[in-house]
Amino acid sequence: MLWACVRLPSLALDAALRRREPPDRPFALATGTARQRRLVAVDARARMAGLAPGQRLAAAEAVCGDLLVDEYDPRATREALALVAAWAYRYSSEVRLDPPRAVLLEVERSFGLFGAWLQLQARLRGELSALGFRHSIALAPTPRAARVLAGVRDGAAVTACDALPRALAQVPVARAGLPEAAAAALAGMGMRTLGAVLALPRAALQRRFGQALVEALDRLLGARPDALAPYRPPDRFDARVEFGYPVQHQPALLFPLRRMLGDLAAYLAARDGGVQRFTLRFVHADAPPTDVAIGLLAPERAAAALFEVAKLRLEHVTLPAPALELEVHADALPPFAPEATDLLDARAANALPWPQLVERLRARLGEDAVYGLRADADPRPEHACVRDDGCGAPALPALPPRPAWLLPRPIPLRGPAPKILVGPERLETGWWDGGDVRRDYYVLELASGQRAWAFAAPGERGPFMLHGWFA
Amino acid sequence: MQASIDPPAYAELHCLSDFSFGRGASSARELFERAGRCGYAALAITDECSLAGIVRAHEAARDTGVRLVVGSEVQLVDGPKLVLLCENQTGYTHLCELLTQGRRASRKGSYRLTRAELAAGSPGTLALWIPGAEPARAQGAWLQTLFGGRLWLAVELVREGDDAAKLQRLLTLAAELGIPPVAAGDVHMHVRSRRALQDTLTAIRQRRTLVEARGLLFRNGERHLRRREALAAIYPAALLAEAARIAARCTFSLDQLRYRYPAEIVPAGCTPTVWLRQLTEAGMRWRWPAGTPEAVRAQIEHELALIAELKYEPYFLTVHDIVRFARGRGILCQGRGSAANSAVCFALGVTEVDPARTNTLVERFISKERNEPPDIDIDFEHARREEVIQYVYAKYGRARAALTATVICYRGKSAVRDVAKALGLPPDAVNKLAFALGWWNGEAPLDARLAEAGFDPASPVIRRVLKLVAELLERPRHLSQHVGGFVISDAPLATLVPVENAAMPERTIIQWDKDDLDALGLLKVDCLALGMLTCLRRCLDLLRAHHRRDLTLATIPAEDAATYAMVGRADTVGVFQIESRAQMAMLPRLKPRRFYDLVIEVAIVRPGPIQGDMVHPYLRRRNGEEAVAYPSDDVRAVLERTLGVPLFQEQVMQLAVVAAGYSGGEADQLRRSMAAWKRHGDIEKHRARITQGMLARGYTPEFSAELFDRLKGFGSYGFPESHAVSFALLAYASAWLKCHEPAAFVCALLNSLPMGFYSESQLVQDARRHGIRVLPVDVRASDWDSTLETDADADAPWQPALRLGLRLVRGFDEAAAVRIGQARAAQAFANLADLVERAGLDARERRLLADAGALRGLAGHRHRARWQVAGIEPQRPLFGRASPDEASIVIAPPATGENTLADYAATGLTLGVHPVRQVRAQLRARRCQDPRNLRALPHGAAVRAAGLVTLRQRPATASGVTFVTLEDEAGTVNVVVWRDLAERQRRVLLQARLLGVDGHWESVAGVQHLVAQRLHDYSALLGALDSRSRDFH
Repeated sequence: MLWACVRLPSLALDAALRRREPPDRPFALATGTARQRRLVAVDARARMAGLAPGQRLAAAEAVCGDLLVDEYDPRATREALALVAAWAYRYSSEVRLDPPRAVLLEVERSFGLFGAWLQLQARLRGELSALGFRHSIALAPTPRAARVLAGVRDGAAVTACDALPRALAQVPVARAGLPEAAAAALAGMGMRTLGAVLALPRAALQRRFGQALVEALDRLLGARPDALAPYRPPDRFDARVEFGYPVQHQPALLFPLRRMLGDLAAYLAARDGGVQRFTLRFVHADAPPTDVAIGLLAPERAAAALFEVAKLRLEHVTLPAPALELEVHADALPPFAPEATDLLDARAANALPWPQLVERLRARLGEDAVYGLRADADPRPEHACVRDDGCGAPALPALPPRPAWLLPRPIPLRGPAPKILVGPERLETGWWDGGDVRRDYYVLELASGQRAWAFAAPGERGPFMLHGWFA
Repeated sequence: MQASIDPPAYAELHCLSDFSFGRGASSARELFERAGRCGYAALAITDECSLAGIVRAHEAARDTGVRLVVGSEVQLVDGPKLVLLCENQTGYTHLCELLTQGRRASRKGSYRLTRAELAAGSPGTLALWIPGAEPARAQGAWLQTLFGGRLWLAVELVREGDDAAKLQRLLTLAAELGIPPVAAGDVHMHVRSRRALQDTLTAIRQRRTLVEARGLLFRNGERHLRRREALAAIYPAALLAEAARIAARCTFSLDQLRYRYPAEIVPAGCTPTVWLRQLTEAGMRWRWPAGTPEAVRAQIEHELALIAELKYEPYFLTVHDIVRFARGRGILCQGRGSAANSAVCFALGVTEVDPARTNTLVERFISKERNEPPDIDIDFEHARREEVIQYVYAKYGRARAALTATVICYRGKSAVRDVAKALGLPPDAVNKLAFALGWWNGEAPLDARLAEAGFDPASPVIRRVLKLVAELLERPRHLSQHVGGFVISDAPLATLVPVENAAMPERTIIQWDKDDLDALGLLKVDCLALGMLTCLRRCLDLLRAHHRRDLTLATIPAEDAATYAMVGRADTVGVFQIESRAQMAMLPRLKPRRFYDLVIEVAIVRPGPIQGDMVHPYLRRRNGEEAVAYPSDDVRAVLERTLGVPLFQEQVMQLAVVAAGYSGGEADQLRRSMAAWKRHGDIEKHRARITQGMLARGYTPEFSAELFDRLKGFGSYGFPESHAVSFALLAYASAWLKCHEPAAFVCALLNSLPMGFYSESQLVQDARRHGIRVLPVDVRASDWDSTLETDADADAPWQPALRLGLRLVRGFDEAAAVRIGQARAAQAFANLADLVERAGLDARERRLLADAGALRGLAGHRHRARWQVAGIEPQRPLFGRASPDEASIVIAPPATGENTLADYAATGLTLGVHPVRQVRAQLRARRCQDPRNLRALPHGAAVRAAGLVTLRQRPATASGVTFVTLEDEAGTVNVVVWRDLAERQRRVLLQARLLGVDGHWESVAGVQHLVAQRLHDYSALLGALDSRSRDFH
């Protein structure tokens, strides 16, 4: 077996740069609490300006005034590594994730399909660069040796175990992937290279550094098998159908759509999962593809239900151009909890439970068209009723009665002088977002007998601005 | 609204000041000034479970003429919220005890009170029941059983809803329960426009942003001191009048507090006066066995009479008692402060400032007219102050002795941080703003600095930040523990002032700070910690142990010419107070020749005199380059000893007395104003007073204007002569020891670290440059402390050698060092295994010793030592030592550079070749001047020099100049970097470890500087010392 190691030396930075416009000035990632901000990664410009990972952000900014800083996102970094692993899976069925920043793939068995190492390597490099990952690659008969070599000499290739000791002899101990404490101690004893360590009697090493070091050396050289868990490709679903002719009209799309969603349902059933969100992508000849996102309230996997939702959603989509291809992508595949079927279900056949109704309305009217309302703690009436974002309402202060119907905007109250029932309730607040209000609110009884909620300037009793009606 | 001509009298009975942290948004002064403008009859300050702000309120009330009612708001855990007001002194005592109970029952900064604590009914207080939104009748009934006729129902109408209905509800409730209603305002700020700050404080208290806290904010700004006309429109007149009546009933004033000194300092049957005289006379026999000089005896008589007249004996006796205890334990201590340098204190052993030697005038230190308690701070050995604190607690009991509080106020950085966070700025922006505004004092314009930091000064958010920060600056933030100020009282302290828990376990603090105590005339003794005292005691012990000399602080030879010569050369590394870079730059110019010169030296290199431009006139006059003219004999008497330049606080006060006609008490007010003029801005009122007083006495307008500006320059930094004298004494003692016993001195310094300005490495280098032999850390010879070794081989060495101690090994612990010493004393170590076995060293300790090179004698060079210690296995009971003999393997020794780096990493210093020396060849190739040639250059020479950066300093007083200290193999080089160069080469300046500097060599009167014109980062050369980094590629 021959292992290729793809090492991604600036993975965190690359992952961040994939998600944003290329910066036009020094760029760095930072993390830590407000007082302990440190740099995690720096780009070439920042490095030129003298910055380095581990530096305190305040010190970095003192040195480099126009530094652009993003928050370091460890999850995005992990996902980027997973992406590289998924990509590597195209070239080998034996892929190993080697966090934090390497992917290993067995390539000997792939030479037949993709050509010899030189060709394969060039292909890997080309695609990694296209994906936006800086990398170094090395080839060795053991995964660990490949990783070590990739860390010290980009492009190194060793094909036989007995050549390894020589190839690794000059590797600094600190970069040999040995247990950290042992590596530091060895360096302090004057053993600067792997060669020097390998020359020492194993018994003496074991006595000083324990079994772990000896095993690490054995794995490095192939004297002991390695135990990295094999990588499995992620749980996601992608399917594509080419029509062979441009399709514009909805009915013509329904047949292929029903089939693809049937495939999706089968796939979901096979892995005992559901889908909550998927995308239909229509590829056009001369226009950018049209993406239609379909979201469900709860994970679903029945083909008919998926098709029903998709169909309703498509009724409201007009394609800008005829479609040549239809793709279905589903990447959020949560576990599925089937609804218990109640024998005595008394629901009328066409009555929908609330979540499904919302779902159907959303599918028909668009994701943003259906939402709930909730009260908010903001003391200003016009900010006290907000869209329910599902986060739950904060604790609400006890307030005097508020009108059931609040006008979208206060309007002058005309007519004869009203009778003051209650008031004033004074509001002076909201300065922090520039929307300071200063008002005296009154409950008024109008000549018509209606009860109005209106305000005047503080200390004044008119003219009034009408802001709501009590029922 | 009907305009009433004369609204009813009113007193606000429920008002929080900014000492209700996170709630009150106005200071007591602001509140009282506003109450005065509104014509309130009285104002109660009722901070939540606290009297921390009450002394300030007392002073504000005195200044504005609005009467203060003392009170506090408390929220019971299991009951109502109420306000307690002190009707008389009994009530005050009970309130203090109640607040103490609440505070002591909870962690620092919070309190816990239940119905149980209130059950006694707090006699002497009046209570306002603050009902919640839904008044609980049962609570009212319960309160009524406790307070009876001393209870009112507070009606607080703040327009948050239907006030008319609320008023009716409360009046009905009051009538039903038979509790009289009274108007109150739940005041949180002095004027409505403070509401933004009040909201912000609420958000900060809740640790949320304003948006997140939006539901918790007050919905309007009514909780301020409203005009009486406005109140008359809201409240029935009877409710307002009731408030004024209650206030009139509360006759208690803080002026009634009578503080008694602890009684046990005087033996039974003796009066303080007699006892102090006895102790003083005993002290005189001890100090002057051959008889007290007549002049001193006269002075002591004079002082004793003054002390008796002012009844200060208990204070001196208390201080003497503490000092006596310390002396008995062998703890070195030294008093300083207004009364410490008296002849009586010398006789009592409180100070070592010999009156026969320093010609002190006691009136300078105790003023009859000032009528404030004398001020004595006692410095103790840093390491042993805790013993003194425990003694005080043990002697007087925890109920009667407590530490004073320090009020921590919002400063630039903390204010910006809290405000910006509350306004929801992201963390990076908060940090940047705090950095940009860190030293803002709320005055100077900032747009340029903000723009530089990437903020738009005109943006609404930034404008809000600035406005709020300006309002928040200098406001109290929380109480903390004073470093050592003890209050001791005869009665339990909790009857005088609330006591609360400090952050440290087993520590309690009172709610007042030292200014509060001053204002009320309470006794305070500062027990402070001073590292130099530890060092001096250790040094004197060493000299005794090695049979070199037997000295005490008092017997160190005075006025020694060799010592002054050394000081004049600025050869003062390690010397107390005069070792900083700024001091060293002054010494060759000032050339101290006698003790009083040191007093001046200590006082002159401080921000006050520097900002007040007093340094250069003094130097010119001292060098005879400028004549000294005194406008009058009075002024001459005050200023002659400082050549006409006012350097000390005491001189300023005396000048105000002799030149502007101030009384002693008024001069003391002036001193306080100077200390706090930034905060209150009230020094300006002295300008007219001083100018007029001086003109009336025939001084010129120019002289009076000049004098006043000098005073302002003094600001809060003015240094008292009484402290300078005590410090100068320690400076002289340490200088003498450095001059005559440098080995013992550096040894004691090393054993007393951390202290002073210099690192182990700098101290050891300085010692070696003075010819002291320094021996490395070695398990065969080192103790925990560094020690002196008399070299038997060398004949009659001038100084013993210094053996570095194991304490220099970073991370090593004292117990292991002691075990090594004991094992070695029993028998010298045969080999490594013997050491490990007999001293019981674990793997970590062995590794640290190997890293430090301390095993060189047993295991050879570092690499080999590390290899060997790693190979030692734990002993197994049955098989004995199980480490088999190994075939020896070849291990290469570390390179010189590696050893250097390892030395620094393990011990912070190297005795090997200086790192700069190791790269000297490369530096020469870069045309850097060699160290010896450099120091011999003439003034003005252009040169390139290089060294390790040991210090970068940008003092606020130096208008943007950065001072850099470079270290090379011959010593240090001081570099001056002007602001524009620092901006241009910021990166090099901040990051270079080995810095090259092109510039001009300045050498004037023995002071040498390199003024930088261009900087080079040579740090890469140092990297080459670490051969490991050159390995691959």
